[in-house]
Amino acid sequence: MTKKALAIRRTVLIIFILFIFIYLIPYFWLISTSFKTRVEAFSIPPKLIFKPTMENYRMVFIEKNFNKNLLNSIIVAFFVTSISLTVGLPSAYAFSRFCMKGDKILFFYLLGTRFTPVIVLSLPLYFIMADLKLLNSFLGIILAHSAFNIAFVVWMMKGFFDTIPKEIDESARVDGCSWFGSFFRIAIPLAAHGIAATSIFCVINSWNEFLMAFILTGYKTATLPVALPGLMTPQGTFWGQIAAVGSVITIPVLIFAFIVQKYMVQGMSAGAIK
Amino acid sequence: MSLKVDYKQKTALMFHMPAIVLLTLITMVPLIYNIRISFYDFSLTRAGSRDIFVGLENYKMILSDHEFWNSMWVTAKFVITSTFIQLVLGVVIALMLNYYSGALNRLLASLIMIPMMVAPLVVGLMYSFILNPQFGLYSFLVDLFHLNLSKTPLSAGGSALLVLILTDIWEWTPFMALMILAALKAAPIEPYEAALIDGANRSQIFFRITIPLIRPVIAASIILRGVEACKVFDKAFILTGGGPGNSTEVIDLFTYREAFVNYNFSYAAALCVVLFIIMLIFGILYWNFIIRKQSND
Repeated sequence: MTKKALAIRRTVLIIFILFIFIYLIPYFWLISTSFKTRVEAFSIPPKLIFKPTMENYRMVFIEKNFNKNLLNSIIVAFFVTSISLTVGLPSAYAFSRFCMKGDKILFFYLLGTRFTPVIVLSLPLYFIMADLKLLNSFLGIILAHSAFNIAFVVWMMKGFFDTIPKEIDESARVDGCSWFGSFFRIAIPLAAHGIAATSIFCVINSWNEFLMAFILTGYKTATLPVALPGLMTPQGTFWGQIAAVGSVITIPVLIFAFIVQKYMVQGMSAGAIK
Repeated sequence: MSLKVDYKQKTALMFHMPAIVLLTLITMVPLIYNIRISFYDFSLTRAGSRDIFVGLENYKMILSDHEFWNSMWVTAKFVITSTFIQLVLGVVIALMLNYYSGALNRLLASLIMIPMMVAPLVVGLMYSFILNPQFGLYSFLVDLFHLNLSKTPLSAGGSALLVLILTDIWEWTPFMALMILAALKAAPIEPYEAALIDGANRSQIFFRITIPLIRPVIAASIILRGVEACKVFDKAFILTGGGPGNSTEVIDLFTYREAFVNYNFSYAAALCVVLFIIMLIFGILYWNFIIRKQSND
């Protein structure tokens, strides 16, 4: 590479990094506000250098009991992921290995649940849950979130199972292994990293979801996103505390996302690109 | 038909069974129940209204409801503008990312993907921080550069919708960029080599080779983003609440309001059926143009 080409490459890189930095300012703004006192948060021009305080976090998570909502979010995400994997993995495996009569219809149905607006399912689920006395229960919201995530697991995991050579299954079958045996002993261990990535996606989907949780949960089971708008009161908005909760919602997700970065696009486009 | 094939069918069905049962219970049953409610006059404000059958009355009301058409129009403007801008920006960013490889590429891609990992509700809140007239970054910048701009863009209809579109672009351009980047990485190298030998210039290579190669992924991304954009709720809910007036009342927000603010359950159920049919059309398009093509390859 010539000296000039290298110089251009460097300049473009610097401009690009600068662009990304500016692009992310809104997010940095949120994080920094969470560590500011009320006076610092309101100061104009914005204070870039300040003494970080944990006061907002203490106020909102301990005094206002948001740690309870944090726990609810963890419970819901955990069970949604477990149910979705338990139900979705065998189906994904079957789509990858068998041709069944009518499986095209089932596959289209799964695509349909992915395209269905949340409100379309939330409204009837609200009536059904109300009749079954499941409003404001963990079971209700866990089942509702699973509805979307099962389709997601099937779409994403079919891709991973497809990458396992069929010959491995077949030789196991010749050795007398049943289909269930080859599913549990061969397919699942070989697709372990794919399963890890898929579960992280399920956690994120459930963790970030607002509308369905907003409709189906109540005081006892509200997840973090549901509790968050409660900090905007007619008496005033607690910006620092909102920023603190916002940071707690986003930071774990980002850590998880960086871990599975390689599978990010695959997950986001599950069913779109092979 | 041999016995073995029959056995395989049964095994396949057993693998699918848990998903079929659970999805029937938590998606099929609610959707059918929803259709049923849409034929009644169920409203929380009128006792006993759950059993009044009105046939297609709710659907007739939808067609003549100018608020419904308003939110359809708002949603259409939102979806088309934000998807289009995301596509253009996404292609540019993907091409730049593709310029770098290895660890640097992974680092840049990780940074780029931050916005789409942030919960949509939090994205909405972030922008209400930025746009806060008292302490927001936006009014600070307007003052600093003496710009001739309104200090409260959320208080005017047109600019509030623009802000909503902007938040969506901010959040989801990374998705477009990463999808297109994946397509660029998977593209074969031979056509490029041939073009270089033939002496093609950069713009010829881009329009004649790159674009055709990534066209399937572009089509898939547009449909996926379009569908997701149709479902926008969280950001509008927290940032504008549909206002001012109903200038940012997207269709999901309108349906939500009918159901859980005005308690016109049956009317909202009919709206849901209409939304479902629209999404079904998208689904069929996607199935025919993206998935069937894939399995033919």
